[in-house]
Parts: sequence; structure tokens; C-alpha cells
Amino acid sequence: MLFKVEKRPVPSQTMVYLTPVLAVLVTMVLGAIIFSLMGYDGIAAVREIFFTPILNTLKWQDLAVKAAPLILIGVGLAIGYRANVWNIGAEGQYIVGGLAATGVALATHEMTGWYLLPLMALAGIAGGMAYASIPAFLKVRYKVNEILTTLMLTYVAVQLLNYLIFGPWKSPRSFGQPQTVLFNADQTLPYIIPGTIVQAGAPIAVIVALVAWFLMSRSIFGFQVRTVGTAPNAARYAGFSANQTVWLALLIGGGMAGLAGMLEVSGPFGRMVPQFPTNYGFTAIIVAFLGRLNPAGVIIAGLVLAITFVGGEVAQITIGLPFPAVGIFQAMMLFLLLAGDFFVRYRLRRVVTAASVKPASEAAE
Amino acid sequence: MQNGSVPRLELIGITKSFPGVLANDNVSFAVKPGEIHALLGENGAGKSTLVKMIYGIMPPEKGEMRWNGEPMDVPNPKAARKLGIGMVFQHFSLFDALTVLENIALGMDGNLSNRELEARVREVLKTYGLTLDPHRVVSTLSVGERQRIEIVRALLLNPKLLIMDEPTSVLTPQEVAQLFETLRQLASEGCSILYISHKLNEIKVLCDTATILRGGKVVATCDPKQETSRSMAELMIGGNLKDVSKDASRTFGPPHFVVDNLSVPGDGRFGTALKDVSLSVRKGEIFGIAGVAGNGQNELLSALSGEVPVDRDDAILIGGQAAGTKEANARRKLGLCAVPEERNGHAAVPDFTLTDNAVLTARDRRNLVTAWLINRGAATQYAEGVIDTFSVKATGSAATAGSLSGGNLQKYIMGREIMQTPDVLVVSQPTWGVDAGAAAAIHQALVDLATAGSAIVVISQDLDELLALCDTLAVINEGRLSDPMPVADADIEQIGLLMGGVHGESDTTHMPKPVVEPEAPHAV
Repeated sequence: MLFKVEKRPVPSQTMVYLTPVLAVLVTMVLGAIIFSLMGYDGIAAVREIFFTPILNTLKWQDLAVKAAPLILIGVGLAIGYRANVWNIGAEGQYIVGGLAATGVALATHEMTGWYLLPLMALAGIAGGMAYASIPAFLKVRYKVNEILTTLMLTYVAVQLLNYLIFGPWKSPRSFGQPQTVLFNADQTLPYIIPGTIVQAGAPIAVIVALVAWFLMSRSIFGFQVRTVGTAPNAARYAGFSANQTVWLALLIGGGMAGLAGMLEVSGPFGRMVPQFPTNYGFTAIIVAFLGRLNPAGVIIAGLVLAITFVGGEVAQITIGLPFPAVGIFQAMMLFLLLAGDFFVRYRLRRVVTAASVKPASEAAE
Repeated sequence: MQNGSVPRLELIGITKSFPGVLANDNVSFAVKPGEIHALLGENGAGKSTLVKMIYGIMPPEKGEMRWNGEPMDVPNPKAARKLGIGMVFQHFSLFDALTVLENIALGMDGNLSNRELEARVREVLKTYGLTLDPHRVVSTLSVGERQRIEIVRALLLNPKLLIMDEPTSVLTPQEVAQLFETLRQLASEGCSILYISHKLNEIKVLCDTATILRGGKVVATCDPKQETSRSMAELMIGGNLKDVSKDASRTFGPPHFVVDNLSVPGDGRFGTALKDVSLSVRKGEIFGIAGVAGNGQNELLSALSGEVPVDRDDAILIGGQAAGTKEANARRKLGLCAVPEERNGHAAVPDFTLTDNAVLTARDRRNLVTAWLINRGAATQYAEGVIDTFSVKATGSAATAGSLSGGNLQKYIMGREIMQTPDVLVVSQPTWGVDAGAAAAIHQALVDLATAGSAIVVISQDLDELLALCDTLAVINEGRLSDPMPVADADIEQIGLLMGGVHGESDTTHMPKPVVEPEAPHAV
């Protein structure tokens, strides 16, 4: 039985939506095989990573906590990627957003009032945007590749974080620990479901994703982003500015990452610590692609990645799987997803070969 | 078939399909020795597929090919050349940095010393009266000269059958005449020529027999000298061809679109893209710009449409308003619409629906966007209006632009701009790769728009199109626009000279590069 690869007359819409599902399923199968070969219980690993977080209702709150920043950053990145702006430095923008919010929190530490959190949120957004505006300026003005600048600025952000919490922002009461003071009650996100650890970040992420979905599909702004991304010449012809789109894409990506940083530092962390960079900004790249660069899809993809994080922790405890195993699963998912996209434009066709038939099948160009 | 004489090439029941399209369906015809045989058909009729099979680039699925009466087996182009089949492609495969001789040596199957090769090249050039210096570097040659290299390449093999694929699409009228002379001489020596074209006038002048393809099938074989261009065109499109009706007594209004000494710098390597271009178009007038591809047409369209704003605001006046520094959408609001040459990815987004493609350019003039939100209802209604009015064959406004055939997409794009009733319309190659029926519809729509009082600029490489359509004509060469002349007393000879550059053959500073036109999309 022989197969021939041939181009589809039109890209398959079914495959566009089927590919992420297949990528996740194949990741489970391959993951089970790989970890079995490495001497672990591969099937149990897949069960713990992918199914325990769903089946165990106690883990749902963990999912919400992990998914929120992933969704928020993923939506921002998805919008940028739609415009062919490859911001892979959301981690840096997330850190600077968190730092900006921390700065406000430290400056207002003696104050109380409902306005502190909104003020910190604005600072977080502004911080992320400001940090993303560096690669935007370099790209628009000097045509510097944003992939390099955004990535490298991430490491700068990490150093900035370390400088601040080892230096000027170190809490005097921390016994030498590099961390800021704990934020006060009005600077900390409220729990929205009593008795759980779910804070306001989760609903904010979902609302932002839905608003983004609406704007991307219905507004002239979303239209502009999609046009610039798929057909730059047509965009210029339509009167959409490519430079303006680069700015918008990076500012939105940076702003959302910055907001995620603020929600994390004022939520689960409650203060700024060296462990603040949790790779959410990098994992969100996988989230954006797994969600097909569609803000609504990003919600689902954010949950899937959150499941692997939570499941990874479970597997660590129950079967002693090393935590980096989760990274392998996540990377495999992205890899298979991108490979699977081949089938959106191409398909396999069975070739009938019989000795009596003329070898017309060799016609492949 | 022909009282006893064995045909040089005979095709019997050739069939070939691609995913979603039957490219050749049971095609049979024969080419006699020494015959110039035209293969005629619209884009997508299956001409290219057929000659690719003859030249061994791809095998047929069904059917038989015979060479001098014997079954012929050509698994690859090398085998075809060995039989004596030469081919000159529409797109040249030449290295710009090498000399003529080096390019020819690279394409030879056998091993020949440079001196022997040069002697043979010079012999071929002499025999056929072709002028070409074997030691010139290709980048300094005109398109016509480049084509001669390809012809010499084919002639060195002493071909018994020469296949020419759309050879005249990039030539000036003088170069075309010279090419025909060479081909006639070849034919008189017994070489058969398979001449692929859709230019009916050329086929009438040159060819002995014409096989007409439509939708992959042979629909007629005829003597082009006995037929009229019209009758062949109707066989090609399988229907009646409508004439463009133009009211000769039309009067023009005041100048409405004025370009004053417009210069655009080139991208560095080629100096100036546009140099002191001035033109003035009156209301109701159709102003044509002729020229061989690559002489600044694309830069001109970008500068006029606003895709690339120019540095002087008063270089472009739309209805008296300075618009040189305004970008495309701002000019659209002033009443200027434009259609670039490339349909896919420039005039339309292939992945978008026709509705979204309506939003692309009609959003402001047709109020398709209210308060940042796209008004889907209005956009769909507008798209459907264009589809109806311009008889676009599509499954509806939700069809993607990429799913339409070239001609239908072009009709949609032209309709989308024309139905915005622009005061000024600038179009480039409005009927490139478009079937004759759709071309006639587009021409009529342009004339009607002009009659209603719009000023229209048509940039085209098709001189026949410009002569039929325009009131005034100018020629662009190396970024300079000639003085305008009324089409009524235009002199083809002079236009041809202007297209080739009036400053003569000695000037080799920069010659246009050959156009690389993307394949017309296959019908699906």
C-alpha cells in the first residue's frame, strides 16, 4: 500500500480544528512510549498528567489559577502572531508588568482603598507595554528582527528583577531573603470563590479573551491585523499601515503580559520574589498556537496547558516523574501541532498499484 | 489524415488530470512537417499541460503520442530533445550575471568545447539572421534579446519540432515581427512549430493550422487565415463575444486627475524608478499607458494609488486637491480607486471571503464600518451586489477569493472598485490572464464608468487592449512617460519604438528584466 502526498485544492477547515486535538492525543501516545523506555511507568505518567487534574475536582481550582496567566498572555500573543509579529518575549513583559505593579504597591504600601488594585493593574499594563515598545520601535525604525529583541530583553528583565529585590526593594524584615514586603490587603487580589484559591485573575482572563475574540472577528482593528498578517501587500493597498500594526501588536501583547504579571504578583505571590518568572510567557506561545491564534481557542488551550502543569506536579509526587518531563510533553505538543498543520494544506492519498495498470501514478511532479 | 504524409507529431486521446481538474480530456491532433501549428485557448484550457507532456516534463495518464508515425516515449525533457523537440518557455531560465555563451553552454546536454560551441552559435545566428553578441552579459540585454538566447539554445539541437509558449507576451511590435520572420524561415526548412498563444491576430498572421482547446477538450481545428479573430475567440470562449460599445461623440470635462513631474527613487540598484512623469486626465477620458513590463509600471501604480506616498503633495492632484503625500485610503476618500496588477495577495486576500474582500477597499466609501465594527450585513449586501452586477461566478459572498478563477476574481475586484463610483480609477493590467468573455465585460464596465464622467488611467502591456479602450495613450519606458497622443491617430510603429526606448540599441545602462508572471491559478 503506497501513499502519495498531494496538495489540497483548498486548505481544509476541518484539519485546522482537528490538528490541535490530534496533537494532544499523539503527544499522550508518544509520551507514554518515551517515558516507558526511560524506565518510568509511561501509561501512569500520561494518566497523572492529562487525566488526574480533570477527574479530581479538588484540582480544578489549581487549573483556574494556572490557566489564567496563560490565557491572558496567550491572547495577546495570538493577536500579534496573527499580524505576523513574532513576540516571543512575553516572559520579559510579564516580569516588567509585575515589577511595575510592585513599584506601585511599595509606593502606596501605607495606603488603603479600593483604587489600589486598579492602579496596580494600570501600572502592570503600562509596564508591559513600555517594555514591548522597545522591540516595536527598533523594528519600525531600524527593521530589527523582533524575534531577537523580544527574546533578549527577557533576560534583561530577569536581571532587573534580581537587582530590585536584592537591592532597593528588599524587605527590611525578610531576614536577608531577597523579596519585597508582603502587599497589604487592598493590594492583594480577592478570592472570588470562597474556600478556594481562585482569585480574580481567572474571570478577568476569560473576559479579556472573549472581548479579544469579539474585536478580532468583528472590528476593523481585527480585520486590519488579519489582513496585515496574511497579505501585507493587500493591507498596504487597503490603506492599513504595517508600522502601526507592528506597534499595536506589540503593545497589546506587552500590555496583556504586563497585566498577567500584575495579577500574579498581587495574587498567588502576594509579593515580588526571585521565583516570579515562571515561564508563563514562553508556555503561552504554545497556548497561542494550540488555540489556533483564536482568542476563544486560547481559553481551551490555556486550560490544556494548565492541566499538564497541575498534572506534572501530581506525577512528581505519585510516580516520581521529574518535573522537566512536563516541559517535554508541552514541547512535543507544539512540535506535533506544527507538523500536523502540514495536513491543513496537503493530504495523503492511497495509490493503487497493480501490475496491469500503466504506471500513471508516477506522475507526481 | 493528410493524404498519405506522416505527421511529425500526432496525439491520440491524451488525457491528464490534476486534483480537482481534468486538464486534458481525450485530446487528439497532428502537426505536419514544416507546419506552424497554433495551440489556442484561454488560461486554464490545458495548453501548458499538453506541451509539458510532449516535452517529457510529465507523462499523460491515457492516450498515445506518435513521432513521425512511431510510438514516442519521452520520460524526460532530455529524451524529448534527443528526438528533436525544442522548447522555448514563456519564462526564461537565464543567469543574469553570465554571458550569452555561458548560458547556452549550461543548457547543453552534450560536451562541447567553448570554441566549437561559439562557432555553432555564430552559425545559427547567421543562418537565421539573428543579432546577438555571444559575449554580452545577460543582464544588459533586452527581453527580446533574452528570448533570442532561448531560441538559439533550441536551434542548436536542429529541432524537428519547436514549441513556443506565449513567446510574444513581453515583446515590442518590432521584436514580434522579427521573431515571426525567424519562425517562418525555420518552418520553410521543414521544422514544425507548435505555437501557443491567445493572441488571435498573431495566429492569423503566422500559423497554418490552429487547434482550439476549451476546458481541456479540442473544440475545433481550423485554418486561422480563413477565420476571423472574432470567430476564433468565440470558439475559444464557447459563446458570443460582445463588442465594447463606446460613444464616439463623447465630450470630456475639465482635467480631473493631474500628475505633475512625479519622480520616485528606485531601490538603489536601478536608479530612478520614475522620472518626471506628468499626465492629465479629463473627466470622461480613458488614458492608456503602454510599455514593456518592468519599465516602472508597478512603481507608477503604487505612487498613483497611494500605496507608496510620494514626497511632494502637489505632485498628484485629485479634483484639484493635492494628494501626493496621502496614503491609499485617504486618496480613496478623495475619490480615487485603484486596482493593482496582481490579484492574489494584492488586490484581494485569497484566504478571505468575498465579503471581507469588499471591506478591504469599500469600507469607507460604502459605509461598511460603523464605530469600529464591521457591518456584516452591509458588507455582504455590497459583495452580493458586485457578484450580481458583474456576473461573477462564485458560490456566494461567503466564497473565498482564492476559490475563484482568475477571470472571475478580476471581475469581482473591478466591480468592487467600479461600484464605488470613483471619480478617478487607476487600473493596471485589467484583463491580464482573464478569458475573453470576462475581458469584454471589464472593458465595457470601464467605458461605462468613463461615460458617466470618471477619469480613468489604464496601465497595460497589451497594446491591442489599450488601442481599443483608450482615448489618449502614452508610453512608459525606463520610468519616463512619453508625450500623450490621441489614440485616433496613434502610429503603431512609433509606439513600438517608444516601448523599446527611443534612445536606440547602443544604450545599455539598464534594460528591463524579464517579467516573471505567476501561473494563472488552475480552475478548481
